[in-house]
Amino acid sequence: MIAIIAVIHVMISHFAIGGGFFLPIAEAKALREGKPEWLKKLKGYSQFFLVLTGVFGAMTGVAIWFSIGLASPSGTSLLIHNFVFGWAIEWVVFLVELAFAAAYYYTWNRIPDRLHLRLGYIYGIVSFVTLVIINGILTFMLTPSEAWLSVAGSGQEATVFFQAFFNPTYWPSLGLRTLVCLSMAGVFSLVVFSRLDGEKEGTVKRQMIQWSAMWLLPSFFLMPFFLLCYLWLVPASQRELMALGISTIGMGVFTQVTRMSLITLMTSATIVVVVYLLAYRNPRGFRFGAAMVVVFLAFLATGATEGVREMLRKPYVITDFMYSNGTRKNQVAGFNQQGYLTASSWAPNKSAITPQTAQTNPSYAQNPTGDRMFLGQCMACHTIDGYRSMKALLRGRNEEAIGNILKMLHEPSSDSPYKGFMPPLVGSPEEIDALRSYLHSLVIPTL
Amino acid sequence: MEKLSSAGRKEPETRRPLGAAVYQWVDERLGISDVVKLAAKKRVPEHKHSFWYYWGGVTLFFFIVMCLSGVLLLLYYRPGESAYESVRQITYEIKFGWLIRSIHSWAANLMILSAFVHMFSAFFMKAYRAPREFTWWSGIVLLLLSMTFGFSGYLLPMDDLAYFATKVGLSIPAVVPVVGPWVSDLIRGGPEITSFTVSRFFALHVVIMPALFIPLLMFHLALIQKNGMSMPESEFDKPEAERKSIPFFPNFAMKDLGVWLVALNVLALLAAVFPWSLGAAADMLTPAPMDIHPEWYFMSSFQVLKIFGGIIPGVTGEFVALGVFQLGLLLWFLVPFFDPSTKGGLRAKLTTYFGLLTIAILLVTTIWGYWVLPSSH
Repeated sequence: MIAIIAVIHVMISHFAIGGGFFLPIAEAKALREGKPEWLKKLKGYSQFFLVLTGVFGAMTGVAIWFSIGLASPSGTSLLIHNFVFGWAIEWVVFLVELAFAAAYYYTWNRIPDRLHLRLGYIYGIVSFVTLVIINGILTFMLTPSEAWLSVAGSGQEATVFFQAFFNPTYWPSLGLRTLVCLSMAGVFSLVVFSRLDGEKEGTVKRQMIQWSAMWLLPSFFLMPFFLLCYLWLVPASQRELMALGISTIGMGVFTQVTRMSLITLMTSATIVVVVYLLAYRNPRGFRFGAAMVVVFLAFLATGATEGVREMLRKPYVITDFMYSNGTRKNQVAGFNQQGYLTASSWAPNKSAITPQTAQTNPSYAQNPTGDRMFLGQCMACHTIDGYRSMKALLRGRNEEAIGNILKMLHEPSSDSPYKGFMPPLVGSPEEIDALRSYLHSLVIPTL
Repeated sequence: MEKLSSAGRKEPETRRPLGAAVYQWVDERLGISDVVKLAAKKRVPEHKHSFWYYWGGVTLFFFIVMCLSGVLLLLYYRPGESAYESVRQITYEIKFGWLIRSIHSWAANLMILSAFVHMFSAFFMKAYRAPREFTWWSGIVLLLLSMTFGFSGYLLPMDDLAYFATKVGLSIPAVVPVVGPWVSDLIRGGPEITSFTVSRFFALHVVIMPALFIPLLMFHLALIQKNGMSMPESEFDKPEAERKSIPFFPNFAMKDLGVWLVALNVLALLAAVFPWSLGAAADMLTPAPMDIHPEWYFMSSFQVLKIFGGIIPGVTGEFVALGVFQLGLLLWFLVPFFDPSTKGGLRAKLTTYFGLLTIAILLVTTIWGYWVLPSSH
């Protein structure tokens, strides 16, 4: 769910930034070259832009908050606490951005052209500032910087705010995302202008379609450079995840990063050529259906790339500090000695087990320790029988086999197949035993 | 360099761009300008059904992908005794071997799917009418050859799925009286599927089928070049001045290329997200899995055989089903004779209904075939 919401949000939000430049630049071009028919189309376009980015962009952005809060409350909490003022500034900038977007649309033909253009450019710059801020927080998760890691958990994190914010992958990521913004502007513009009638408005359609197609060119030429810089700055241990699927698909889910990277390469390389062949070479005949195919390719490219970016962090949610399930690296020894549930938020309250609990939550009533261990350490990434189903993954294994897997997770060796992806399993021997019997109770026995 | 004018005076030659000079040099020797002129004549009608013109090209694209990925697989595949081991190495050891194999398997399925779409769209646009009857017939044979390609390729990994699916498939020709068992033995290279069968199927898949397919494909494409693209009946109703068309080169060819790139992305997505895995090595001593079934493009036939087998018991039922298939194929071949006219009429309508009925039967029996599999419940 996070994936679908996030990919849609990335497409719309990057369009919000790219479009924020596209519209005033197109308006300036129309005024300079005396193209009044362009201005009419751009006014309608800015209405679509306002609704899509203001409504759906905001909705999906808020939906991301809900979904990440559910999936990783500890990680979300850490980001909020570390970047409080960053977030505060971001939300203020959002308000300003929306205000200028609305003003840009509602003041068409009501204020002098130069002032209207200025509104557009200010909107574009303000919108870009939202990227400047969110990029710092996102890239921090993968490369939090040595300065931050050295003070993490000490209460001194605010002293290294800017080192954490402008971390190693910040600049290549900003470059990449800026290019994506320009491309999204091109893609969505193609959608809008594909709806023009190629026969009645052939000249306008040809000009606008061809000009929109050109907006994909910067990313085609510059993205490889920024991508290589980005990958070079990703920690080597994370980069290794990309190679797991080169020689084999025998590792199943662990080959996902390789496979998603291949989709990224394919779609990013071909989308510009598709736009050239279908849109640039045949602008009057470029229809809405073909434009939606381009959007589909952009969706694939975005989804695959964001997916790779997220998966590269495994097994961490904050590299070298916090694992995907919220356990901090410096808590592992303590949890193993004193027990996971004694110090975690998922501790069962045994006195709460009543006859009603046995009905409403039978697995907790039967095995509260195992249930809570699963909830605290596994459910950030696994469901029982849905996504990354625990039942499906453990099917056919007996309790001893499950115990062996848990042992491998609890005492990961350097050649463990789970090392790159799975956080270490923490807890006392009794807690791990309880988890083993809980997992065994999930397994469907084979015939 | 100077050349002589008609008065014998030397005149300086004007310099031409390098590209034009090279073109002229090659053209004087190979006559490519004649080919260019021929290609430039081809036009593609533009109307609301133009979308369906792309599907033949998409099928061709997937065939090209099959050839390229097939050649790459050939570098590591070993037919005969080591077949399974070689495919295991390709899938689990060789760099990007799994990707080439997945591309090959997915492109096979997509090629047959797009061939069906292409065939049915040509049917409903009545492109089988004069002068395109041979295009229609060669197209049907190409589809049958594609399915044979699929059947022969399916066995090559020699995992248990490949083995049992082929075993079930080869039991069908055996029901034909007198010659049936002999034909099955000939295909298998003996009474059972062994490593000899794999070698035989490999020769079929890599040599015999391409030798049949490629010339027929060239014939099919040459006929399209010769006879031009057909138009639906609605276009014939328009006065000629109102009919729109674009040159095939470069206009339609550019759009075609764009569609090919989209198809490539769909293929890449499927191959990366749903890579083809390998089952356990074929074990002839184990019984067939309960849910054994052929690939989707044979499921309809598979289910019809089961239906007739249920109504008429024994091999007679299967033989009758085979007869029904042959009859259906014959009718499909004979459509250009049944509906030759360009004017709408009863025969035109009946043919369209026949096409719709065929699609309905194929879809229903395919879905039914999957529905009754033990693993689907």
